Amino acid sequence: MRILLAGGGEGAALIAARLIREGNQVTIVEKDAERCLELEEHLDAKIVEGSAGSIRTLKKAGLRDAEMLIAETDSDEINLLTCMIAQTDSSAKVKVARIRTHEFQHWERILDTMGLKVDRIIHPETNIMQRIMRVLHIPGVSDILDFANGEIKLFGMNVDRNSWFAGKTVEELDAADPPKDSLIAMIFRGPQVIIPHGAQRLEPGDHIYVCTTRENLDDVLRFMGIQPQKAVRRAVIVGGKQLGIWVAQELERTGVAVKLIERDPARCELVSNVLDKTIVVHGDGTDQQTLEEENIEGADAFLALTKDDADNIVASLLARRLGAFKIVALINRLHYLPIVQRLGINTSISQRLTAVDMILQYVRKGRVLSVTTFREEEAEAIELIAMRGSRILDRKLRDVRLPRGAIVGAIQRPDGHVVVPRGEGEVHEGDRVILFALASVVPELESAFLSRSRGARFTK
Amino acid sequence: MIRWTRIGRVLGLFLAAFGATMGVPAVLSLATGGDDLTAIAGAMAATVGAGGLLWGACRGDTRELTQREGILLTVAAWVAAGLFGGLPFLFAPGIETFTDAVFESVSGVTTTGASIVAEVESLSPPILLWRALSSWLGGMGIVILVIAVLPLVGHGGMHLYRAEFSGAKSEKLKPRIAETASSLWGIYVALTAALFGLLVLAGLGPFDAVSHAFATLATGGFSTRTASIGAFHNPLVEYITVVFMFLGGASFVLHYRALAERRPLSALRDYEFRHYVGAIGLATMVAGPLLFFQLGYDLERALRTALFQVTSIMTTTGFTTDDFELWPPLGQLVLLVLMFVGGCTGSTASGMKISRIAVLAKVVGREFKRMVERHGVFVVRFGGRVVPEPAIQSLLNLVYLAFMVNFVSCLALAALGIDVLTAISAVAAAMFNIGPALGDVGPTDNYSRLPALAKWVLSFDMIAGRLEFYTLLVTLTPWFWRK
Repeated sequence: MRILLAGGGEGAALIAARLIREGNQVTIVEKDAERCLELEEHLDAKIVEGSAGSIRTLKKAGLRDAEMLIAETDSDEINLLTCMIAQTDSSAKVKVARIRTHEFQHWERILDTMGLKVDRIIHPETNIMQRIMRVLHIPGVSDILDFANGEIKLFGMNVDRNSWFAGKTVEELDAADPPKDSLIAMIFRGPQVIIPHGAQRLEPGDHIYVCTTRENLDDVLRFMGIQPQKAVRRAVIVGGKQLGIWVAQELERTGVAVKLIERDPARCELVSNVLDKTIVVHGDGTDQQTLEEENIEGADAFLALTKDDADNIVASLLARRLGAFKIVALINRLHYLPIVQRLGINTSISQRLTAVDMILQYVRKGRVLSVTTFREEEAEAIELIAMRGSRILDRKLRDVRLPRGAIVGAIQRPDGHVVVPRGEGEVHEGDRVILFALASVVPELESAFLSRSRGARFTK
Repeated sequence: MIRWTRIGRVLGLFLAAFGATMGVPAVLSLATGGDDLTAIAGAMAATVGAGGLLWGACRGDTRELTQREGILLTVAAWVAAGLFGGLPFLFAPGIETFTDAVFESVSGVTTTGASIVAEVESLSPPILLWRALSSWLGGMGIVILVIAVLPLVGHGGMHLYRAEFSGAKSEKLKPRIAETASSLWGIYVALTAALFGLLVLAGLGPFDAVSHAFATLATGGFSTRTASIGAFHNPLVEYITVVFMFLGGASFVLHYRALAERRPLSALRDYEFRHYVGAIGLATMVAGPLLFFQLGYDLERALRTALFQVTSIMTTTGFTTDDFELWPPLGQLVLLVLMFVGGCTGSTASGMKISRIAVLAKVVGREFKRMVERHGVFVVRFGGRVVPEPAIQSLLNLVYLAFMVNFVSCLALAALGIDVLTAISAVAAAMFNIGPALGDVGPTDNYSRLPALAKWVLSFDMIAGRLEFYTLLVTLTPWFWRK
């Protein structure tokens, strides 16, 4: 696919790298000459220097023939301008724009009324906020994702030495009478990602993801030794950026006492204007004394949500030492993610990766509804609709021979019924299927789900 | 840190692929029942085998190349192509020593076209075909070919591409390196095929036509005749060859625009292209009348010969239709100057390149302006675009490097007892990949009488020039190897 990417920041570079790896032709428009050189050095893409709001520059970058436009500059105004220009001067079928303002929902309405077709507004803060909220209420869980409008759940947890199933194999776990419709989908062990089979052993230190249905979630959590616990009463947030404010607002709404620590005094004032009940503290979240003074000990949740990965890591580690209960850190550099998990930070979420996920859906062939990437883009969960003509339809999954390192996690039938199929289940036309796979086998896997008549290749 | 296995894997594959192209002369030998089949097949087996062994040993390492490894790989690929490309010459009768075989081979892949063979006709047709084919492979860049055909280097391919292709910094045809490389090769193949057809129509045999088509588009200059194109005594062939040498020396970015994007007129707006046409026209207008008035050629022949020779030298091809050593001194000197100028960036031609010379002239002009306007701020523009200061800096360094290589090589040749004119012009002809020079290595002579050491020096110059100096020379610096 020919993709025009407006803006060459860190987030855009991550998106570009991923798109290139998947075989797309990417052209990047970036205004800073020095940054252009850097991008040129690291990406197999065409780099055009100039403003993404300039018609001439966009033309030079091949706007006319682009099949997809991603506006991902620092400026909302430029992003919208780029989309406007593309609307008239381009054959791009898909337009995606990053909007940073907290008023982005209003923009959806305005664009719609204007007739400016933007297929997706990327505002990762909302997604992340929801992801954080889901996790906060279940202490032993590091991550919860929703598929099929919440009917299918995927949760992540750490296996520690005290877990009753540490050292057992998946088969032994199955024999221990687990709730129905549950499946261990992925195991992250050190640098390794394992899509488990029966003989796979679970070891202390592993980070595992379990797939189940909405109804069975509580049973499965209990089975895995996680007690649904008391609600979060007291939360501390470090960093008063948009995400911090969003999370604080959401927590306020659910009756949690929130304290927000922000370094910049001017920002503090602004935040306290916006947030009614939250106590805004001017201080350094990476300073032990500040944290001690603010009574981190005994806080139910500690969220490090500044822009700086290093600050978030340091703050989280301090909070852990001071005895905070549930710790969530915003980490943007993917390489940090495996390390952070081992440091005992319960949940780490990457804003940039979330943005990548929101775009991938449009570049995949077939009817892909969502893609979620895990860790350093090593594994993903793909949600798609099974199409007529695919070779896997109407056969027992154990006979289908999916590539090694791929597994069907759950299926939602067209009537809304959800099953976790295991080997005995079958996929039928029109089913919504959740797949888990190593990034390396994704092309092979998706081609299995494509109808043969439309060609087996999945990347263009 | 250089991780050798990463380089080894790609280099091994490259060598195997390069060796496989020897199958073309092998097939010709088989078809014509030539007695050099074992020689060519042996060379092919040795090259493919060496490549396969290297690949087998390093196969597991598929990590991406760093810039440093990319540079080293490019240099290694060219050196390896030079050495292994010499095997068919060495094994077959006609060329006896290892030095001569390597010289001939390096001269081929770098599209120089300098030969140590006195009687070209004494070599067998398959060997002549290999000479032409190897220069055709080298013309567009052997490493770029590998990137285009084998998707094996990931994004590290960019470092290779930049290390080898002169126009890479100015423009990328397609967002992806591999696709850019295949577009370039596609145009190259199409032009070669067109030339082959025209030459056959003009009356050449298929063997001569294909060999010359290879040597012309690559701006290589290896002919199947000792007297080069002049041997055919066919003005039509000369005109056709002029056109295609001209195309080979013009930017392939322009060809791409004309052929793939159907914008043939964009070339006329291109600043470098206009200078290219102007330089050829001007030099022809100087040389033509000289031949007409002083040597008594008839008018058509004078202009045709002048045009052919000017184009051949300026595009660094090196075909000849006339012994230009008999030309008046002014004519000879015009050719010597054109050797330094060369073709356009992004072409198969070598030389300093027209855009560089033009920018250089403007940089000098700016210094003059600065002397007058002490506090003025001036930028250097080329074709309407401002040339960034780092690019000017790097250009000046390149000129310095070229001159240093030139001086050191000339001194080395002089130390070996070679006369001044021969030394200067032979080094220029080698480092700018032209072929015939002046003095003892003029169009009617060959390089066979030079001492062995001089041939190695010239071989080095050819590769250094083909890779535009930086790429080869940086691997000789201590900083390159520092951890």
